[in-house]
Amino acid sequence: MATTVERGAPPDAGTRDRPPPRKRSRRVDRTYHLFLVPVLILFSVCITLPAAMGIFYSFTDSIGFGEYEFVGLNNYLVLFSDPAILSVYGFTLGFALCTVVLVNVVALGLALGLTGRIRARVTLRTVFVLPMVVSGIIIAFVFQFVFSHTIPAAGQALGIGPLEESILADPDLAWISIVLVTAWQAMPQALLIYIAGLMTVPQDVYEAAGIDGASAWNRLRHITLPLISGFVLINVIIGFKDFLAAYEIILGLTDGGPGTATRSVTMAIFAGFEDGDYAYQMANSTVFFLITLAIALVQLRLTRGRTGG
Amino acid sequence: MISAGRGAPSPLPRFSRRAALGTMAGGALASVLAGCGSGGGGTRVSLHQSKPEAIPYFGDLLEQFNDEHRGSIHAVHDISANLSSGFARGNPPDLGCLNYNFEMLRFQERGALSDLSDLEAEANIAPEVRELVEHFPTYPGRTSVIPYSMMAAAVLYNEEIFAEHDLEIPTTYSGFIELCETLQEAGVDPVYSTYADAWTVSQGLIDYSVGGSIDVPAFMDELRDLGPEAGPDAPVSFSDTLREPLEKMLRIASFSQPGAAARNYGDGNVAFARGEAAMYLQGPWALTEIDRIDPGLPIGIFPLPMTEDPDDAGVRVHLDLALWIPEAASRPDEARELLRFLIRPEIADPYNQANLGFGVREDAPDVTDARLQDLQSYVDRAAFYQGISQALPGTIPFENYCQAIVTGQSLEAVLRTLDEDWARLARR
Repeated sequence: MATTVERGAPPDAGTRDRPPPRKRSRRVDRTYHLFLVPVLILFSVCITLPAAMGIFYSFTDSIGFGEYEFVGLNNYLVLFSDPAILSVYGFTLGFALCTVVLVNVVALGLALGLTGRIRARVTLRTVFVLPMVVSGIIIAFVFQFVFSHTIPAAGQALGIGPLEESILADPDLAWISIVLVTAWQAMPQALLIYIAGLMTVPQDVYEAAGIDGASAWNRLRHITLPLISGFVLINVIIGFKDFLAAYEIILGLTDGGPGTATRSVTMAIFAGFEDGDYAYQMANSTVFFLITLAIALVQLRLTRGRTGG
Repeated sequence: MISAGRGAPSPLPRFSRRAALGTMAGGALASVLAGCGSGGGGTRVSLHQSKPEAIPYFGDLLEQFNDEHRGSIHAVHDISANLSSGFARGNPPDLGCLNYNFEMLRFQERGALSDLSDLEAEANIAPEVRELVEHFPTYPGRTSVIPYSMMAAAVLYNEEIFAEHDLEIPTTYSGFIELCETLQEAGVDPVYSTYADAWTVSQGLIDYSVGGSIDVPAFMDELRDLGPEAGPDAPVSFSDTLREPLEKMLRIASFSQPGAAARNYGDGNVAFARGEAAMYLQGPWALTEIDRIDPGLPIGIFPLPMTEDPDDAGVRVHLDLALWIPEAASRPDEARELLRFLIRPEIADPYNQANLGFGVREDAPDVTDARLQDLQSYVDRAAFYQGISQALPGTIPFENYCQAIVTGQSLEAVLRTLDEDWARLARR
């Protein structure tokens, strides 16, 4: 629309000796701004503003509606001494760390295999990427059945003692099931990024290394990994950030149980909304937001100019 | 970052969030459909009612109401799952018809619900049902809610299995344990438990054993009176009061089928319907599910005896539906008109009969479902209690704690945590 206006200027304007390209190069075309504005408005109204309101309420005793009073930092002070809160953070961080390691090791291994000269490469890639298109809550319910019925039944039939009891019912082991299922769902995204990354590595360096007699391991360690380090970093950081916000897979598998063994930060926050613990969980959200923000800043800093590999 | 809370109050007290997800999807669809059907003129008044099983029933009732008030009032059915955001935006429904639980309480406690004392007389609520409302923090000088439907839960038992082993309904705790031992010796799993769904533990084993042993509202009052002084070592505490009932509960839980920790509510309904266990600690909502598998299964119900005095036995009840009108309702007069319509005996009684609920009026007729008739005498003489799981704010993960207790965590440690959580909340 902006360009139409500009072009619609009086005809005599064009008679001046001012070449339009130069004019454009000095000023950013207004079209860019027009593209930006709707997104900016949406983002501010739907994300920034509610977030700011949330932070505001974290300094009050609001229950989500009606009157409230300011309580200063009280919510935050109680938060840091609340064992229930500390334990959900402990679980969430540990879970995110384990999952990020598992996802990246498996995805990188698969990516190496799937970029090699193997048969049915495209079919296999499709198969491995499939979990990505299934919704998390459905995956969780399917695996909930597998863990509580299929695997114990198989364990009994085959006489494998440790498998006879459902892993979901064991407070010490239930987290493993969550790591496995989350990793299964998250792996395709990391896989795709790794495949893309591996494709950026020029073939001639491998040829040169082959001439020098480098073993496969040395080629991986000294050529591939350094050249795709940017992709590793992206996968690790994006993955970690996503896993911190884990919700629906845990909900479907264990619902935070047995007991409170697998309650995540997001589940604690959500429980606060349900029963009017609004301001307190807003303080929790704010802390959680700051943690995620810190990770995002680290990511931005580390990946600046490195994403090209 | 900000997402509003769940709303789907369901037939069960504090139903799982999983159910809420499903309800939301269904609700969205149904609201679209409901919108298509509206056409009558008149002042628009909204009824918020989202108990999933009762949505079609209330849809029909509203149609009847609209026919009676053609041209003057037009009622619309609001079944969206989220209530909190309506109140937060100052745009709540005109009339609510919901499970009376902690989600409702905060609206009641802070005076967001208008006074209905004049309509209460018309509703003719039985005093002992009225009292159930008062067991929770109310807004002084106001009748904030009018009970509509009460559900009673106890021990479901398979009459065939009982007859086969020549067993009688136990009326004492020791009798109950003996019965379980007899069944176990005969190779029958006495109780079917579903620990994987935490709410089934709190609703059944925990609420029945605590409600059958202590006076829950009195205990909660004492705790509230302690204020910030509460804690594991205070004169009144969960650690002290709940310990004995819960030790007895663990004895009962030990008669559950093997592998209970990995079984959920759905598994339990199927297994009980197939006669895999003699007893099942669930409410009437499970009867509907069991009917789908074996409609002919002879089921009886009895309250879990927790003492040696048969007169102590009672059933766990909750107000499955209660009516309220927000202070901020945009059409309070029309909402009251709709409320008056709903509490008419010829409307309310058939609803309760059809939905396995007990009427709340002083002159409400007896329940007609043959299985629930076993509980009628307990309801008639008010031998009932509200579950302790209903008395705790959701910010304390009580259901999870209950699950921890039955899956092997130390009872003492869990009760201590519960006391500390309560005290922390009181200090805030």
